[in-house]
Amino acid sequence: MLRAFTVVLALATLSLSGCASSAPPPRPSARPFDDLRRVTVVVSGESAFSIADYPVEPGRTFDEVLKWIPWLPYRTALGPAAKLVHQGINWVLGANRAATAAPSLDGVSPRSVVAAAMARTLKASGWFDEVLTLEREPSGEDRRRADAIVRVSVPAWGLVRVREGEPGVFSGFADVRGQMAVRGTGVIVWEDSQDVTNPEQIPVDAFLRDRAFARQEMADVLERAGERLANELLYARGAGR
Amino acid sequence: MRRRAGLFGVLLSLLAASGCGVTSSGLDVRYPEAGVKRAMLASAPPRRIEIAPVADRRMETARIGSRPKGGGDIVTSRPVTDIVGEALAVEIRKNGHSVVSDRTDVVLATAVEEFRLDVVAGYSATQYVGRVVIAVAVADPRSGDKLLTRTYVGISRRRVEKDPDSNWRDVMDVALARAMHDLATDPELATVLSRLLTAFNP
Repeated sequence: MLRAFTVVLALATLSLSGCASSAPPPRPSARPFDDLRRVTVVVSGESAFSIADYPVEPGRTFDEVLKWIPWLPYRTALGPAAKLVHQGINWVLGANRAATAAPSLDGVSPRSVVAAAMARTLKASGWFDEVLTLEREPSGEDRRRADAIVRVSVPAWGLVRVREGEPGVFSGFADVRGQMAVRGTGVIVWEDSQDVTNPEQIPVDAFLRDRAFARQEMADVLERAGERLANELLYARGAGR
Repeated sequence: MRRRAGLFGVLLSLLAASGCGVTSSGLDVRYPEAGVKRAMLASAPPRRIEIAPVADRRMETARIGSRPKGGGDIVTSRPVTDIVGEALAVEIRKNGHSVVSDRTDVVLATAVEEFRLDVVAGYSATQYVGRVVIAVAVADPRSGDKLLTRTYVGISRRRVEKDPDSNWRDVMDVALARAMHDLATDPELATVLSRLLTAFNP
């Protein structure tokens, strides 16, 4: 009887254990920084453009083929290989698409667009006396006049599939990071990362065909990313007020 | 024998409840009050704000999305209008204003344009895209004139290797929070609330 009860209890605990994983993602760190009135926004890091699709083929077909192999050890051994081949084929397809889009985006610097949009939003808030944007780390007078330095990076940007079905529907995306450090002490008072997706949903073919359209789509999402980062910084700054 | 059957019943009940309310009663999307901060909205003097009943202007109101591979509807545990209205009230109160129904300084008319979770199931990973689009109109309670019209769009995107249901709620929570943060840091909204001082209390 006791054994049965233990089994029931263990199963109940296991069945409920999934609930613990629904905790919200970690919140960005923030400390009060009301006295930082002059900030310099600096671009940093590298940016990689990609077109992210989530195809089920050819992996699904590989799985179907593997099911017909009668020997379990072979089937088990070939499973991971099929997954790798699936990833390899789709990586090549994605890289080809990205290479097709690249000429349309010549001269677009994602970090600069994000930094400029962020600076504009911070300035419009009226909470800062001075907001500068620089393409490099400030030095000399530029560095001395800043209370804090906001470093902005865009590790990834491009297009991402946002809905299932054919033809594929994509949106521009930019994964951005921001960090605010006090000049002189280097103390980090704010940092955050945001996955930013453009609200507009577009067919990928139009993006690849139309240069002006592609540039506009990416400019829109990068500006949105800068505004998002700025809004989160302003929201965090409010904590100290 | 009867006791064993009872235990089996308890076990079945617990297993049925194991989806944390996701499958049977829907996603419990929330804007947690603990994370709400005083932002730009707090720069306006305290106002008596009426939040009109939130309208639902979504194309599809019965669900917020579909499970992958035809697995059925994804729904919320409460009406999305309640979720958004509650989030709005929390944000306004936290920023030092009162949510009232009489002697109002200003009326916020809100509509949910979109509250949606898209699931893109790939071969080895699944991507979730949560979208919350809220239209807010600030109106003068006396004349009914619109003082400001804004649309706040919160989008959250997450790619996961496995497919635990808990991701669904997290993605929607983050999308809702982003829309609310954009509202709370909107300088134009704060300006309109500040200007009411001269309009009604000269």
